[in-house]
Amino acid sequence: MTALLQLTLLGLKLNFRNRMAILYGYLFPLIFLVAFWAVYRSDPVPLALHLGQFLTITILGSACFGLPTTIVSERERGVWRRYRLLPARGWVFLTSVLLARAVLLVTAALLQLALAFAFGMPAPAHPLELLAAFAVASFAFLGFGLVIAMLVDNVPAVLALGQCIFLPMLMIGGVAVQLESLPAWAQHLSLFFPGRYAVEVLQLSATGAGLSRAGFDFAALLLTGAAGAIAAGAMFRWDKAFAPRRAWLLLAIGMWAAVGVAAEMRGLASISAVKDTREVGSVRDYAPAPPNAKAAPISWQDVTQADIDGIDFKRLPPDEGIISPLSRGDESPDPVIVPALDRIRDGLAGWSPGNVSDPVQRARNLLAVAAVPDIMQMEQVERFVPRLVFARLQAVIPPRELPKILYWIAMHPDEGDDRAMHQLSAFGLPDITGPTRPVRGRVMLYAFKLLGRLAGPLPNN
Amino acid sequence: MTKALTVSGLSRRYGAVRAVDKIGFEIAAGEIFGLLGPNGAGKTTAIECVLGLVRPDAGSIHVCGIDALARPQDARARIGAVLQATGLPDKITPREALDVFGAFYPHPLQTDALLDRFGLREKQGLAYDTLSGGQKQRLALALAFVGDPQLLVLDEPATGLDVQMRRELHDHIREVRAAGCAVLLATHGMEEAAQLCDRIAVIAGGRIVATGTPTELIAGSGGSLEDVILKLTGAAQ
Repeated sequence: MTALLQLTLLGLKLNFRNRMAILYGYLFPLIFLVAFWAVYRSDPVPLALHLGQFLTITILGSACFGLPTTIVSERERGVWRRYRLLPARGWVFLTSVLLARAVLLVTAALLQLALAFAFGMPAPAHPLELLAAFAVASFAFLGFGLVIAMLVDNVPAVLALGQCIFLPMLMIGGVAVQLESLPAWAQHLSLFFPGRYAVEVLQLSATGAGLSRAGFDFAALLLTGAAGAIAAGAMFRWDKAFAPRRAWLLLAIGMWAAVGVAAEMRGLASISAVKDTREVGSVRDYAPAPPNAKAAPISWQDVTQADIDGIDFKRLPPDEGIISPLSRGDESPDPVIVPALDRIRDGLAGWSPGNVSDPVQRARNLLAVAAVPDIMQMEQVERFVPRLVFARLQAVIPPRELPKILYWIAMHPDEGDDRAMHQLSAFGLPDITGPTRPVRGRVMLYAFKLLGRLAGPLPNN
Repeated sequence: MTKALTVSGLSRRYGAVRAVDKIGFEIAAGEIFGLLGPNGAGKTTAIECVLGLVRPDAGSIHVCGIDALARPQDARARIGAVLQATGLPDKITPREALDVFGAFYPHPLQTDALLDRFGLREKQGLAYDTLSGGQKQRLALALAFVGDPQLLVLDEPATGLDVQMRRELHDHIREVRAAGCAVLLATHGMEEAAQLCDRIAVIAGGRIVATGTPTELIAGSGGSLEDVILKLTGAAQ
């Protein structure tokens, strides 16, 4: 164990003495991150919806290039032949390389996340699950990185083979180019690349319902990683003078194919939920000022039914859409997300921002709980949380006051305190760390929608 | 008394080529045993079998009484080796290499003592790729000693060394012998073999064609040791 530890520490030291390794290991992931930030600069919340992508690219780069380059270059120079003279089995040396690589990967990812936070990306909704997702994605790709290392004889061959895997995974595997942007044939093809599953598990851990929604993706990564590790173990060679047992390559590639076929059979290819991060519009889009309008109310207490009648509820985004979705009253959530919804329901009662004395701020804070899952496009969850918030609003604000307050919030989305948006981790929701304007926009929409249900124009079924 | 190395009936083929063919020899503690022969005679294959780098097709190998084919890790713990065509990571320093390699052995020698013994003290913190050829060879030797071996295996250790370095190397090998360590030395240097070896096996075409002390070999065939080897290996081929 001491030898394994010392060898691992040595591997880390040697990596940090290699300028090219630092460049590839740390600088490139940051460059990719900046590129994502620049390309998706119009997103309402910076980078949050692309965390799965940029972390997967980091892992892929390390697996396709960093890991096999280290092993192959050392084997070419006879280092592994020298290691073989030591009284230890091959797995000790492979494990030390993998451990060192894992440390490098984790530090590179942390650096990426730190920069992403600086750009305004919110904290992940499920940090521990994100760690588990990162671990399984790393396992999947490093397993295959080992296969590359065992297969080829020299560093140029690593780069060539690595590119053959890296680039297709980025372009048509759902890693760099989002699946929604791909043609149908590429969406089908992407099922045969594990990169898609890595993006999914990471993204669901960051802004989705967590790994409970990613059972297939998680299993797919575990299986591809295990197949890669077994194949690499069987193909292991100390010396390039010995040919690898190439037949084992079929196991690694075959597992990619098997996972793809299973995904096809489950109908996972098509991506129907097109992401839409459009601006939600302004108050005047939904409540146009009538001609000869009377003076606007100067406080929420002055709001009248006539003011509410002036709202054109038909202009609001549809409840089944992507912006401000809302479940039907009689609709049951998928059992998988029930625990997440229970946690939010249970947490609302004791959540201090939801109990502040000012009723307008109280309602504004509670509406933020509905708005954030929508902004984060938290699959399924985002449609049901507004219902929970609606129930809570009705419980903590008198019925006579609630329509007036909702009207006031809808008509004044830029007022009030937004600190509550940074206190959502109690619900398992991501805290908003960047600009809050997009969330305020969704608060406005939900205020209109809930008001429409209270006032009658919208069905509350 | 248990021999440091016992090789018996060792055979290894590469396709149609018999690299070694039923060879056998023994080395006692404190003995330097030379494997002498031309390039391609089978010396390196024999050594690679002893070290467990290549699995023999037939035969047995015992290191200090341990079956090296059944328990290769235990056998390697008793062996130090310097091979051709091995290397170290470019940026590793001599001290780091000795520390890490020593961690694999149950009773490693002190790194500082090895640095002094092999004249690497001043170079202990320099990267491997900045060392001269001689310094790299000293480090390779120091690494062979780090586990306090009972059997030292050297494959053409003097290749590329200047005269002074070669002399230093020979001194180290003699020191090892004096300390009771057995040495298996593969070389095609006649002079080196004559100076160092207590016994020599002449290998040609994968087979041992003669075994004896340098004096015995010369007495048996007449002429110098070089003449003897040329005669024996020429006859075998």
